[in-house]
Amino acid sequence: MRLTLSLLVARIAAWASRTVLRRSGQALPGKVLLKLHPKAISELSAKRRVILVSGTNGKTSTTKVLTEIISQLGETVSNRTGSNLDRGSASALMEPSKFAVLEVDELYLPKMIEQSKPEIVLLLNLSRDQLHRMHEVRKVCDRWKAAVKNAPETTFIGDVDDPFIAAVLMCAAKRIRISFGGRRHLDGAVCPSCGLYLKWSQLNFKCSCGLSNSDYEMKLQSGSAAYRNCELANIVGSNAGAKRLEFSSSDLERTVEKQINGLATTIRLVKNPASWSEALTSLSSQNIVLILNAREVDGIDTSWLWDVSFENLRGRKIIVCGERAIDLVHRLHVAGIDSDTETDLNHAVKRFSGNAEIEVLAAYTAFFSLVTL
Amino acid sequence: MTQIRVVRIHNELLGTYGDQGNAEVLAFRAKFHGITANIIDVSYSDPLPRNGNIYLLGGAEDSAQLLSLEALRRERALEDAIDDGAVLLAICAGFQIVGNSFWANGREVEGLGILDVASVPGKKRCVGEVKTKCSILNLELSGFENHSGVTKLSSGVQRFASVSTGFGNGDKKTDGALSGNVFGTYMHGPILARNPELADLLLTRATGRQFSKIEDPLATKYAHIAARY
Repeated sequence: MRLTLSLLVARIAAWASRTVLRRSGQALPGKVLLKLHPKAISELSAKRRVILVSGTNGKTSTTKVLTEIISQLGETVSNRTGSNLDRGSASALMEPSKFAVLEVDELYLPKMIEQSKPEIVLLLNLSRDQLHRMHEVRKVCDRWKAAVKNAPETTFIGDVDDPFIAAVLMCAAKRIRISFGGRRHLDGAVCPSCGLYLKWSQLNFKCSCGLSNSDYEMKLQSGSAAYRNCELANIVGSNAGAKRLEFSSSDLERTVEKQINGLATTIRLVKNPASWSEALTSLSSQNIVLILNAREVDGIDTSWLWDVSFENLRGRKIIVCGERAIDLVHRLHVAGIDSDTETDLNHAVKRFSGNAEIEVLAAYTAFFSLVTL
Repeated sequence: MTQIRVVRIHNELLGTYGDQGNAEVLAFRAKFHGITANIIDVSYSDPLPRNGNIYLLGGAEDSAQLLSLEALRRERALEDAIDDGAVLLAICAGFQIVGNSFWANGREVEGLGILDVASVPGKKRCVGEVKTKCSILNLELSGFENHSGVTKLSSGVQRFASVSTGFGNGDKKTDGALSGNVFGTYMHGPILARNPELADLLLTRATGRQFSKIEDPLATKYAHIAARY
């Protein structure tokens, strides 16, 4: 009864927010619902098959393709706009469905596991990101470990080439560990299981405590982050009984193509050292615009710019904009890479010739202001 | 041309908060002064060279901090280099390592004792912009802090800077500590990128030479803008 009433009020709030305030209102109904009924997520999850997706990079795009995969099996709800705190999940769960595929913020994952009792949790990766909020990667990993130990009924699926994910999966009663043949990790110097110096041989790690990426249930060929996430989504899908679906890398890359002032631009979301590094190694154009902001979700401290190698930008034409353009221009200056600044993307594209193809790497808040224009 | 060695200690362990950029800024500023600064990366498994001119320690998570301390304890190379007049810039976890004691992974450990300070866990994590005034430089500094340790200086130990915004050593008054050529602070940014004149001071201390003012308008502009973050 309490749930029914709370849902009604939350729906009225959502309607008012959309029609009166003209907001998209993804988080608001969930926020109202949780305020009125803090146990709403548990109750709304109870009769559904719930799948959670978390990790530093690739949550939103992986959740999107996984939702498509799971939808083959029946009605599926999802917080597809990336509203990934508990309120965003609560909003998604307000609609009835057989399945729920939810993207979950790293810090909220333990709470969501406890409340939604998921059938499957997909763990993508963990690396330094928004450290003003996450503080330490290891601490996020430790919280996940505790949450996983308390969920023996849930199947945890993840990329064991990431030492943090490998350490979390060690704690799982039911797990599918997938290796893509190994890869280096910026935060992989210390074993996240025992704290010893982690021994790497080329792209693979093996600690004396037993943590290793050569212990897996499945091994696949190596590839880009987009490819890996697509494979992981299909493994989750097949575990839930769904047929495999194929996707192109661009479906998973948070990339949007857009005409700006008559010029073709490809805008890609980048948000932390791992995603910047991934984007910088796959540049195809000589004409680059970089947009840096430092709001809450971007990370308010830009020190991490010094953890990224910008060598791949050398020799290209680079225009920098965004609220923290100066931080990046100075970073490049010290690396001996020239760049210019412009006030915004509209002005930036004018610096290139008429038929130039322009690649734009945009920080989180900049990306969303551009793609929703 | 004068050559100096900038030793970046255990960057794979102490590079979590961007402090590795301090080495790059030192090398960049050195060029303006007609000095070649060679950056020497020393990893956990390597012996630490004793002939460095400037040594750098950065911020880290607890387990990484303990591993770095363990490696530094294997030899007295850092202490010997400092006795010979080398410069040390120790940030955050690095600052705690060179103190008398600190806490990591829930236990107290003995530090290297290079600075007469002691760190304990604070009640809440200190995160945010930090603005200070450094008296030896007569310079306003800016940076970003992200730590849970609170550091107490023994009596007679000089603070690195006085805090105007932020937590610093946890008392909101002092940041870091200073003794001879050893500089400890909680400021990231990296600190030398945001405060290039501090980089110049370290180069002066390392070479014993006085330098004329550098014309690097972009660095100056960035320092001014970042001072208002």
